[in-house]
Amino acid sequence: MSTPPADPAANAMRSFISDIGPTISLALESCVHCGQCAEACQYYVQTGDARYTPIHKIEPLKQVYHREVGPFAFAYKFFGLAPKLTTEKLTEWQDLIYDSCNMCGRCSLICPMGIDIADLVEQSRHGMYAAGLAPQDFLGALAEKEHASGSPFGLTSVQFRDLLHDIGAKHNVTMHVDEPQADIVPTVSSIDVKTYPGSMAAIAKILNHIGASWSFRTDGFDADNVSLTAGDRDGQNVITQSIVKAAIAGGATTLVMPECGHAFTEMRWEAANAYGKDLPFRVVQITELIAEHIASGKIQVNKAPQNATYHDACQLSRRGGATAAPRVILAALGVALHEMEDSGDAGWCCGGGGGTALIKRAQPLRDKAFAIKQKQVEATGADIVYTSCSGCRQTLDHGGKAAGWNKTVGSLLELVADNLIPPSPPGLPQPAPLTSLKAPAGSGII
Amino acid sequence: MTLLAFARGPAMQAATLIMIAGMFWRLAGILLLRRKTAHAAARTPFLLRLAGGAKTIVTRTVPRKNFWPRVASGVSLGWVLHIGLFVILFAGAPHILVIHQITGLSWPNLPKGVIVIASALTLAALVALLARRLTHPVLRLLSNTDDYLSWLLVFLPISTGILLSGETVAGYGTLLALHIFSVEALMIWLPFGKLMHVALVFAGRGMMGFNFARKGAAT
Amino acid sequence: MSDQTAAPDQENLGAMLARRGFGRRSLLKFAIVMTSSLALPPSLAPVMADNLAKAKRQSVIWLSFQECTGCLETLLRSSAPTIDSLIFDFISLDYQESLMASAGAAAEHTLRQAVAANKGEYLLAIDGSVPVKDGGVYSLTGGRSNVSMLEEFAGSAKAILAIGTCAAYGGIPKAHPNPTGAVGVEDIISGKPIVNIPGCPPVPEVLSGVLVYFVSFGKLPDLDDRKRPLAYFGTTIHDQCYRRPFYDQGKFAKSFDDEGARQGWCLFELGCKGPTTHNACASLKWNNGTSFPIESGHGCIGCSEPDFWDQGSFYTSLAGSSATGWRNAGIAAAVGLAGGAAAALSARSKTPTIPEDKS
Repeated sequence: MSTPPADPAANAMRSFISDIGPTISLALESCVHCGQCAEACQYYVQTGDARYTPIHKIEPLKQVYHREVGPFAFAYKFFGLAPKLTTEKLTEWQDLIYDSCNMCGRCSLICPMGIDIADLVEQSRHGMYAAGLAPQDFLGALAEKEHASGSPFGLTSVQFRDLLHDIGAKHNVTMHVDEPQADIVPTVSSIDVKTYPGSMAAIAKILNHIGASWSFRTDGFDADNVSLTAGDRDGQNVITQSIVKAAIAGGATTLVMPECGHAFTEMRWEAANAYGKDLPFRVVQITELIAEHIASGKIQVNKAPQNATYHDACQLSRRGGATAAPRVILAALGVALHEMEDSGDAGWCCGGGGGTALIKRAQPLRDKAFAIKQKQVEATGADIVYTSCSGCRQTLDHGGKAAGWNKTVGSLLELVADNLIPPSPPGLPQPAPLTSLKAPAGSGII
Repeated sequence: MTLLAFARGPAMQAATLIMIAGMFWRLAGILLLRRKTAHAAARTPFLLRLAGGAKTIVTRTVPRKNFWPRVASGVSLGWVLHIGLFVILFAGAPHILVIHQITGLSWPNLPKGVIVIASALTLAALVALLARRLTHPVLRLLSNTDDYLSWLLVFLPISTGILLSGETVAGYGTLLALHIFSVEALMIWLPFGKLMHVALVFAGRGMMGFNFARKGAAT
Repeated sequence: MSDQTAAPDQENLGAMLARRGFGRRSLLKFAIVMTSSLALPPSLAPVMADNLAKAKRQSVIWLSFQECTGCLETLLRSSAPTIDSLIFDFISLDYQESLMASAGAAAEHTLRQAVAANKGEYLLAIDGSVPVKDGGVYSLTGGRSNVSMLEEFAGSAKAILAIGTCAAYGGIPKAHPNPTGAVGVEDIISGKPIVNIPGCPPVPEVLSGVLVYFVSFGKLPDLDDRKRPLAYFGTTIHDQCYRRPFYDQGKFAKSFDDEGARQGWCLFELGCKGPTTHNACASLKWNNGTSFPIESGHGCIGCSEPDFWDQGSFYTSLAGSSATGWRNAGIAAAVGLAGGAAAALSARSKTPTIPEDKS
């Protein structure tokens, strides 16, 4: 929001109210103050500061709910049982709703009353953004840019097209861009564009490998959706609709989401709701697509017998239901997988999710959260930690460097792309899979 | 009208009606809000989602092993409290009589001595939980009047029940009246505070399990 | 009984008993029994015997109000020990409408004379409740309301005996909806010693015990907070019941004539109000110690307690309560649903629909 609103609290209140249906209402009614959510949250666990108790973070939303739309709203108002929302309160809550929450969902997993607290934080951010209280340095600023231009870094369609062709040339991979008809439409994350462009080559390589008709769409490519994490509902919708429209324009039957947590969550589980009806294509994350084709035999991979561990992106595994796919891939690759403590659905957030990596002042808090991940990675004794989310990858990279790791951080997508066994020409026997150790090429450095 | 007659008569009727009306009011107020249709393609068919909801209702009682070390003490005390209450209410002879009066159902009770032990353990857990709530930094931040009032409204029926079954401290009629009044107070407050979790726990866990089964997400 | 209307005899009780062959020894034996019954220390027995021997005939004026006459019948039917009936013979029952021979104007004259002759000394015995609604028109004696009679004759009494639950607390006539406005004596009279001897009917030995005490010591025995003699109403049926061990062991009859009932198990689940009923039935029993309701297999109905008829069914245990009824529960649910729906409706008007994608 370039100009702060005249009445932030009123904006926030309106936003909160408009978000509340039976599920949110039930969630806001159910808390019994047991305190278990705090024990699941990396910020409380690492700091001991009770303010980071997850359900405490959504207090403004809860109070507006009780006062305005709850079953006993009249009593709350009449007896003053919930205070009227003030801008002071919202400001006081800013770092709780943004800096100290990755929307990772561990709290939702532990809550004995079945409250999806992570979702309540996401809803709270809508109100905060409407009140002009998203942290501007630089989450709010990037969201504004994304809303205006379709990309948080202002990348235009033309620039994206040129970038793709450059990458194709550099990696000797056939790129398909804006084809009039394509069964599969992949998308990218802005972090890939900025930091890990090799992943775009990797997607192209794999889609070429399976012989699909596919194409990037420059009218809808950046799936990162920073607006979502900032709480800008309108911006979130703009991005989502542009991708939906691009996929439809391309005649897609499958939309492939890149290595990005929230991109997957948004397009797989929210896009259809924003669109207002069932999507005319299915939505898969790239690891799910690869796992499907490994299972059907269409993708065959060399063995890459590395000593590795795997970091689950919260939005893909715990929140998204795609926990199994990466392990299918790792097994096919013959990777010696040393699972971390709390791996899989109960895994700890890397500390960079939910937009916090884009909040400069939150660095110290992120470091504290990362410390848990660091210890667990180190305890596995693995040389490499793979992940399938560029946000996590970046966080692990930065954190690992700060920790002086001698480990590498790798992308599962790029590992697959580097180990594809080309399909043999018909009539000839399949070549034996290579057993030599192959260091992953896509570890973040082009 | 004697105190006991009032407790067993008009007060019980009023408390029952308030509790029923309040519970229906609160649940209706929640469930009749504007609903958003979920259009995203589900990972599971409807029946499996229902099963997911049912499963979550049961499994959320036990924290995942990943969480267990940090929540063990509080959760264990909660189990003692709830299991104790269950034993007192469903295996204690006088309460089976109450249920029989309302529903016609009846079953054998456990010996009084067992109920006495359960009551003592329940009371001890309740006191320990209060101490925890008063000292744990998270709970101190979260707790409000409802938490402490609800604690008292559970404490009083248990303690008056213990006195009544021991027929000690005061006459039977007085103790019975106090016990019934304490239960009525609990009934009257139940729909409006955290005690409503008797219904919400099923609704909340079930809804989460159902919605998350849709996504194949972890529950 | 004697139909004396003249001034009290000069002969004292000791002389009268001696005439009938009961010497001092018998009187002492009787006193020992009575002090025990009245929970008095044994050292008081000779004092009681002496006092009884010296006692003058006590005037008792008995007014029957809105009653069924059951209390009187019980007292008459009781085969109390011989001396008890002699005590009854000794007290000068100067007025009692069912028992006296005279009626009408003659009876009224008897009453006025007895009151005048014993002013300030007579015991006023009341059975039956006192209706107060509509000017007390629901119970009249010779066209005069109970209330009016009670107020007048209580004034010059030494003490008042409210005999039976009706006189004590209003009893059965007071049961909902109490069309006659029935109340107990204590609700009308204050400033006079009143002893309540509740029961429907009361245990006969309780009345004789109270009378003996009064005649012996010139005052009423120690009373509890409901004006009942502590000696007889200080404990509950539950405290003295011979089936108490079964209660403690959790052995209950579940239905009449089931195995537990035949074994004589506790009747709590069949509605016994023993735990909340103060009376001497479990120890003194009825018909000269023959039996009492629980011993006969039926739970105590709490007939000596106030409002015993309005406690819900006699067969609903103390754990149960007045049934709210499914109909009322349904109405409450409907009210709740309506209220919640109204709240949700109001909330819905505040929540806009999901904006359609306009682009």
